[in-house]
Amino acid sequence: MSDKKGPITLKVILIGNSGVGKSSVMNRYVNHRFTNMYRATVGTDFLSKTINIDGDTVTLQIWDTAGTERFQSLGTPLYRGAHCCMLVFDVTSKASFSALDGWRKEFLIQGEPKDPSDFPFIVLGNKTDLSDREVSDKLARQWCEEIRGEYFEGSAKEDLDVEKPFLRAAQRGLQQYKKHTLENTGHFQITCKQPRETRNTCEC
Amino acid sequence: MEGEAQKATASWESGTLAPVDRLRSVRADSPIPGLVEGTEPGRSLSHYQWDYITDCALILKTAGAGQKSAMFIHAHSFEDLTAEAEEEALRTVDSGRSEEQHEEGLKALVAEQNIDEQHSNDLSDSRTKEEDVSSEAWRSHKKHVFVLSEAGKPIYTRYGTEEALSSTMGVMMALVSFVEAEKNIIRSIHADGCKVVFLTKSPLVLVGVSRTCQSDKEMLRELQYIYYQIVSLLTLTQLNHIFQHKQNYDLRRLLAGSEYLTDNLLIRLERDPGLLLSAVTCLPLASSSRDVVSSSLQAAKSKNLVFSILLAGDRLVTLVRKKDQFLHHIDLHLVFNLVGSSSSFREGEGWTPICLPKFNTAGFFHAHISYLEPASQLCLILVSTDREDFFNMSDCKQKFMERLSKRSAYQALKEAVKCPSYSVAQVGIPELRHFLYKSKSSGLYTSPEFPMVYQSDEEQERLLSLYQELHSCLHHPTRPLRYYYRCRETENLLAQVTSGFELYLCFSPLVTKASAFAAVNKLLKWIRKEEDRLFILSPLTY
Ligand SMILES: Nc1nc2c(ncn2[C@@H]2O[C@H](COP(=O)(O)OP(=O)(O)OP(=O)(O)O)[C@@H](O)[C@H]2O)c(=O)[nH]1
Ligand SMILES: [Mg+2]
Repeated sequence: MSDKKGPITLKVILIGNSGVGKSSVMNRYVNHRFTNMYRATVGTDFLSKTINIDGDTVTLQIWDTAGTERFQSLGTPLYRGAHCCMLVFDVTSKASFSALDGWRKEFLIQGEPKDPSDFPFIVLGNKTDLSDREVSDKLARQWCEEIRGEYFEGSAKEDLDVEKPFLRAAQRGLQQYKKHTLENTGHFQITCKQPRETRNTCEC
Repeated sequence: MEGEAQKATASWESGTLAPVDRLRSVRADSPIPGLVEGTEPGRSLSHYQWDYITDCALILKTAGAGQKSAMFIHAHSFEDLTAEAEEEALRTVDSGRSEEQHEEGLKALVAEQNIDEQHSNDLSDSRTKEEDVSSEAWRSHKKHVFVLSEAGKPIYTRYGTEEALSSTMGVMMALVSFVEAEKNIIRSIHADGCKVVFLTKSPLVLVGVSRTCQSDKEMLRELQYIYYQIVSLLTLTQLNHIFQHKQNYDLRRLLAGSEYLTDNLLIRLERDPGLLLSAVTCLPLASSSRDVVSSSLQAAKSKNLVFSILLAGDRLVTLVRKKDQFLHHIDLHLVFNLVGSSSSFREGEGWTPICLPKFNTAGFFHAHISYLEPASQLCLILVSTDREDFFNMSDCKQKFMERLSKRSAYQALKEAVKCPSYSVAQVGIPELRHFLYKSKSSGLYTSPEFPMVYQSDEEQERLLSLYQELHSCLHHPTRPLRYYYRCRETENLLAQVTSGFELYLCFSPLVTKASAFAAVNKLLKWIRKEEDRLFILSPLTY
């Protein structure tokens, strides 16, 4: 390997209602697999994947969170230190789309990103393979503009455009990473206990 | 390992186990509509429901008047099957009171209870257990389990949907409350070939309905497991908090996505002798190899790491615990159930809160769950007190793997996983088909694989229910036995309990009583010879 420092680690968080397909999207992207069986995620699942972005080798740490209500009441320490947040909804469920606003706000509060107005959000509409669509492309894009997010849609089942949102998340995350690492050189973090995930502990 | 539960020390509670209440209040507005305990349908009683309550009053009246009666409550009517009643039907009901008083008491009580009939449909039922609850098929299931809140709201049903059963559960709650109003506790109803057992664990009520010949005690034990399963998902503190706040809360919202854990636990209760014996079983492994695995695990320590558990499927490979902290077998079975039920990515790592109710019902631990290799059965569970400890646990696993993979013991372990059980033929007793041996001091048991005659699921469940009968006899609350020998057409059974062990043997039906008893000594000798392979003899602590 040419990279002596070891790859940069980027933390990407997947959030959204239960059943929208967060785990499916991640499983499709990382393992190239899909299952129709639904098993709600328990807590958080963590997978990593090394990719190349514009010449930089980065390790994507993908955090697939549980959308079920039980875990919402437990607080979400894992949001902190994220470089990019992926908001996932199901295009056949209006409710899952409407819920994104709440998920985003929750993320900003719990995740405490340094520059909330500039934090990168990727919005992903999943299950485009289904015909009973409830959320139009236009509506989704409109909301994305409001929150200054970027919109993608696809299908984990049909393996349609699953890679693009992750690559974009990695790019935006990398920008975020560089911006804050440069800003922070010479400074010590004064904000309360910084969780360890900001360190690049991944030894893959 | 130790059979006894150990209370968390004070410093633990105040220190690292964050109280749930605080965690809840830290949260800002919820991302999910309906998370903040909100929209609930009206609380009025419908006519429909009154019918059930009156039916129920009628039944109780008969029982209260001391008549012989048998009953089974179902959704649309009740049956007064006066035939083969048991004297003790509703044995806790005080028969001294007059019928009018009973009825009045019930009405008053129901009015207070305000049992909620209607159901919000905001819970999409993703379960594939749509089943007509008025069908004969539904009614003839061997064992039903219902969980409800003290307000009579359905929380869980093993078969069918909770919505369809809300009236039935309302009646169940009415029964519980009615008896409670007399300062009594309803324990069980014995009816025609059917038994209804109640377990009230405020704020939950659990009801088991069984057509098997299980004793009340066995059924209660199973209901307790279900209770602890629910507590392990939410903590008792959170449960109490919710229901104090809102008596009518629909707990299914919080349990959505976790129902399969309860489903799977019920299956385990039918198939896993460990839950019957209050013990767990080990992967047979040479003690020299096991010791290397244990010490590698012990070396990968971290400040808040309390328990490290290495599993091969449902078998324990080793367990390292913090000094003076013990893991109760119930908690361990709940961990096994969580691991066995979750399909999280074998390539990745999981991080989930889990309450170990026998250790502490108030707080969550945080479990790091990962497989040693993607295709491996070997699963490592690292239990920490700190919810931010994910990366520390991940490092611990890494360290453990680095150490272990250098040693030949790892190869031996992987070989052992390929044959996780042994044949009963190894013991060398021709008539012996199967056995369970529990060492009481360690809380571990050993058992050979099922022989050919018990290959099917039904046969295995049948054998297990026979063991359960023996277990009931040995542990009878008033007349416990030390030996029990039973001849049947299909097999002969022998059970024995001493201060050190419990033993259950299954022989061919041709065995004589004398040779069955002689076999016990031979088997004990064999186990002693093999014990360093079958058990964990030197458990380690941090
Ligand atoms: N038709 C279709 N079904 C999908 C697609 N993606 C996921 N599903 C199905 O949707 C269900 C839920 O998917 P999950 O990936 O488990 O959902 P999740 O968002 O991880 O849910 P939680 O873990 O509970 O938060 C599963 O049955 C999937 O098979 C898709 O692109 N098309
Ligand atoms: Mg998921």
